[in-house]
Amino acid sequence: MADNNKVVIIGANGTMGAGAGCVFAGAEYKVTLLARSCEKAALGFADAQNYARAEAIAERLSVGAYDADLEREVGGAAIVFESLAEDLPLKRQFFELIDNSRRPDTIVASGSSGLSIAEMARGRSDSFRRNFLGLHLFNPPQVIVGAEVIPGPDTDPAVVKSVIAMLTKRLGRKVIVTKDMPAFVGNRVGFKVLNETAQLAAEHGVAFIDYLIGPHTGRAMAPLATVDLVGWDVHKAIVNNVHANCEDEAHESFAMPGYMNAALHKGCMGDKTPERGGFYRRAGKQVFVLDPKTGGHESYQKPAPIEFVEKMKRLHHVGRYAEALKVLAEARGADADICRRVVLGYVSYALNRVGEVAASTADVDTIMSYGFNWAPPTAIVDLLGAKETVAMLQELKLTVPASVELAASRGTKMFPGGILEYGRTFVG
Amino acid sequence: MTKPAPVYVLGGAQTDFSRNWSKEGKHFVAMMREATLGALEAARIEPREVETAHVGNFAAELYTKQGHIGAFFLEVDPAFSGLPTSRHEAACASGSIALIAASAEIEAARYELACVVGVEQMKTVDSTTGGDILGTAAWYEREAKGIEFPFPKLFGRLGDEYDKRYGLRDEHLAHISAVNYSNAKRNPNAQTRNWFMSESHAQRESKFNQVIGGRIKISDCSQVTDGSVAIFLASEKFAGVWAKRNGKTLADIPRILGWGHHTAPLEFDTKVAESRDNAYVLPHTRQAILDAFKRAGIASAAELSGIETHDCFTTSEYMAIDHFGITKPGESWKAVEEGVIELGGRLPINPSGGLIGAGHPVGATGVRQMLDCHRQITGSAGDYQVEGAKKFAMLNIGGSGTTSCVFIVGK
Repeated sequence: MADNNKVVIIGANGTMGAGAGCVFAGAEYKVTLLARSCEKAALGFADAQNYARAEAIAERLSVGAYDADLEREVGGAAIVFESLAEDLPLKRQFFELIDNSRRPDTIVASGSSGLSIAEMARGRSDSFRRNFLGLHLFNPPQVIVGAEVIPGPDTDPAVVKSVIAMLTKRLGRKVIVTKDMPAFVGNRVGFKVLNETAQLAAEHGVAFIDYLIGPHTGRAMAPLATVDLVGWDVHKAIVNNVHANCEDEAHESFAMPGYMNAALHKGCMGDKTPERGGFYRRAGKQVFVLDPKTGGHESYQKPAPIEFVEKMKRLHHVGRYAEALKVLAEARGADADICRRVVLGYVSYALNRVGEVAASTADVDTIMSYGFNWAPPTAIVDLLGAKETVAMLQELKLTVPASVELAASRGTKMFPGGILEYGRTFVG
Repeated sequence: MTKPAPVYVLGGAQTDFSRNWSKEGKHFVAMMREATLGALEAARIEPREVETAHVGNFAAELYTKQGHIGAFFLEVDPAFSGLPTSRHEAACASGSIALIAASAEIEAARYELACVVGVEQMKTVDSTTGGDILGTAAWYEREAKGIEFPFPKLFGRLGDEYDKRYGLRDEHLAHISAVNYSNAKRNPNAQTRNWFMSESHAQRESKFNQVIGGRIKISDCSQVTDGSVAIFLASEKFAGVWAKRNGKTLADIPRILGWGHHTAPLEFDTKVAESRDNAYVLPHTRQAILDAFKRAGIASAAELSGIETHDCFTTSEYMAIDHFGITKPGESWKAVEEGVIELGGRLPINPSGGLIGAGHPVGATGVRQMLDCHRQITGSAGDYQVEGAKKFAMLNIGGSGTTSCVFIVGK
């Protein structure tokens, strides 16, 4: 029998692998961190200690290398968590090795942020496919508690149930189950907005867009700074995957801007390449910002204040979120039009995913709120008013989600929680 | 003396103590709004029904350069305009003093429904400045001025005093810390719910667990927390109407069965000198507990289902164990070793995670403890519920054992 308290992390030297190791060890699992070499795995070990802010986590962690240790370690594991690069052939190669080493009841979870779970499981044994699923954690997993569980075509429902119980009860996660579609729910919705803002930056500039669609629109961090944090390589992999494999009302929002492809080609990947930067580059205390028109970085200039933005920030500062959104609704001018289109576009696109990739509006809310730290879409609808939201969506020629139409016609509230659940997502 | 009129606890709400409101770019009034609006919704009370408000806050003047905190209650809802409001300060016991003031008004039949709000925004300053501000809860000039992190040092000395009188092993303090962190993992509003903690981490001094005052390591300390909590106290008349419209009877509603409130001399040395010949290190704290027992008509802690106590440091929880009479004086370690204080133990202490695990927004802590007592008695504490809880106690302390407030809540 597998040790029911043992977890093996494949790809443990990466940020997500080490972070997942920290999360599992924090929940009192015995965790083996595997990488190409013990030296690489030791990097993940050190990262996990730093994330936990506790040397004592070492008591629950061990390291190993694929060649020497994978077969033995996987053979004793209750859970194998794969956290390799987003490269399907590479993942499939490892799943074959795992399939040959695992016990019949070992659960195997892929941490992919959007590749096909069915493709990963294809060709594996019956027992593997019954016990295999996607388990998408968000970065950094020791801080962000949202999680997506993605059953494959043959995943045993009992396995899904036990993984959800483990995630919620032991790992403190906020979990949703999604369909096996590109980028799942969180990244599909989130990267639609992030890429849309990157497209807008081509015309309006990076600093201006991050100011206009900043944290006051219901997000912990400005959108282009978020892309830098995520990494441009990851951003490209996600938007290209959705653009190539999904046909929906926002198809063109997933087209990676040309200036981003050019900068990425030169090695600009965001925060992970500090010398080349991304949308921003820091040198000591100086901040430089990318000029999409030239591809160079210029000294950062704070955008001139916009009245409605400053008003919204002042209202969030004192906890008057509904009034802040009314300001957005009533603001006039081209800047307000851009901001409204992005915010209402988010609401429309997110809630239109219900029935397609997401099971419910509550699931969309959960993953955007706890995976991205963005305002739950239905909370935005409630704060604006459902009828008013419908009118704004129609004016912007955006699809009105059926759930919003229903709330408007019945006069009902959409967000199941209250101010204590969404307040943190509006930043002053 | 005639028996005072009963004071009912109708419920309330709290903010998520893991939030950093400065990072969110927010003023503490946003915190008060969220907690109070959440409480109105949770307790199904209309704003126009509230007749008086009491706000517990320690040091908004120092953390945020803002005084006159009671008046901020009016910012929550237009219906509150004109309400009598006040702010109460007794360091970490500020929330309890607000509760005592509100319950006294209900007992005196001045008002039928009071809202008590605790609020503190602490992450506006760096840790050294914050430590200095907390020093004003002691006699600042004599005990804190020029001292880095004075309070861990003062509560380290409480441990030293136990050690001198009875003997004290740090491993028992580490276990208290580990239990609080473990309980906090069950509390969806606890600040440390996703933090790593293990008993061996709490046992040892290390890079991430440094000594910050005497025998006190980081793992022995409560947290620097932004948070607000709001709760409603009501007269029998209002509680009766409220019960009816919620399909309940008066007997279903928790009430304050007893309370105790004593103040000891401000300086720690004076306290210790005063208690030299006493079996209890902090006899005024002991007396506040005994007063609450007497008013509640209970003979001992054996009649309690659990306790939410003031664990600003592990030494203060160690003190609470014998002062509640769970063990003989100086023998708190026995309750620690026997698992009495753990969830599932004979008398769980801090199922919420306490100040160490759940967090310690100073002026809000007493109100948070009252809310957790209410949750326990109404069976609504979720994963940290003490099964079948009938009577719950709370002990809230200001300063180095200076102001002690105790409440016992039950049906």
